[in-house]
Amino acid sequence: MGGASRGEKRRKQEEADQRLAAAGIQRPQTPNRTPLYVVGGVLAVAVVVGLVLLFTRGTGGGVEPTYATSADGAVVTAGNGPIVVDVYEDYLCPVCERFEERYGEEMTTALNEGRITVRYHSIAILDELTTPPGYSTRAANAALCSVPAGIFPQYHGTLFEEQPAEGSAGLTDDQLVSFGTDLGAQGDFAECVRSGANTGAVQAATAEAIEDPALQNANGSFGTPTVLLDGQRVDLNDTEWLQKALG
Amino acid sequence: MNRARLLDLVGTLARLGLAAVWLISGWLKAVDPDQTYVAVRAYDVLPTVGVEVVAALLPWLELALGVLLVAGIGTRLVAVLSAVLLLAFVAGVTQAWARGLSIDCGCFGGGGAVEPGETTYVQELLRDAGFLVMAGWLIARPHTLFALDDRWGTRRRS
Repeated sequence: MGGASRGEKRRKQEEADQRLAAAGIQRPQTPNRTPLYVVGGVLAVAVVVGLVLLFTRGTGGGVEPTYATSADGAVVTAGNGPIVVDVYEDYLCPVCERFEERYGEEMTTALNEGRITVRYHSIAILDELTTPPGYSTRAANAALCSVPAGIFPQYHGTLFEEQPAEGSAGLTDDQLVSFGTDLGAQGDFAECVRSGANTGAVQAATAEAIEDPALQNANGSFGTPTVLLDGQRVDLNDTEWLQKALG
Repeated sequence: MNRARLLDLVGTLARLGLAAVWLISGWLKAVDPDQTYVAVRAYDVLPTVGVEVVAALLPWLELALGVLLVAGIGTRLVAVLSAVLLLAFVAGVTQAWARGLSIDCGCFGGGGAVEPGETTYVQELLRDAGFLVMAGWLIARPHTLFALDDRWGTRRRS
């Protein structure tokens, strides 16, 4: 083996160095920089891989929504395509924000083309995670108010883009109203947001979702986002789930 | 076994142990980028762009450190970088704790907000302290067994 003979060679060299050192003679040494370059190279590769994956990942927005929406209770039905996607979301849930970021554009395109129907269920399971509690319900209510106001697709996107952090106070009613006004909300949107007109519907839908065995994850509990494709729970670890369904 | 050999052995265990830490934690983060984003965001320190970049790079930097430690390349330098990263984690967890956030560190996958009372900051910091000891050993005494550093060593002018 090369290693063994190399080790032998070095051992002899070290012995020679020791004899020289004993005689008071120091041989000059230059540090080998190879490991330094290898470390730099490997770290550079890691950075490039991370950035490439970041920039090739899907991003939300960019496609103008042209589909129609209607609300019934806490459920907003978008589009009229043959494939039915049920999305259960809490507007405070960070993973829901990631879901919208990753699949928002894909879903908007499929909705625009009339290939899918999406039923957005406005769920509030994270009310306790804001101080004061209740942002999830207020945001879900505001999202439902945005349907008759004619701005749901954009408003739904805005609520996730402007998503407050868990543990924060959440967005104020004034902010929820002004986002809608900026998007051109029609009718009594502000009144609807401030009065919590859909609060009862949100609470009922939340209680129903928690009890529905078809929505439970492997731990037997309900979480958001939960997504159904024609009634079957979608495994979101499969990032191709929508593309596969569309064929 | 002489003393130097024993110290080499301890160093080797520290090197491979730290390598395992980075490879496992990096892999768990790399396979679930959305969860990693949520975990980084939960520390509530960086603006959105910063969260994006850190969540994108962190898994791969951890894997890179792990690979370099397994190979034993630039052990002292890699141990210093490991210590710097670990200290950054310690700072992140400490500020979350001090500010009263309820988060999981997401050190080995997972992460994000948890119920108040379900935080494990003490365990997380003790664990990081253990990893820092391994990094510290390698900074103080980087010579280990089965390391490529050995092969390159110090080239003599002759």
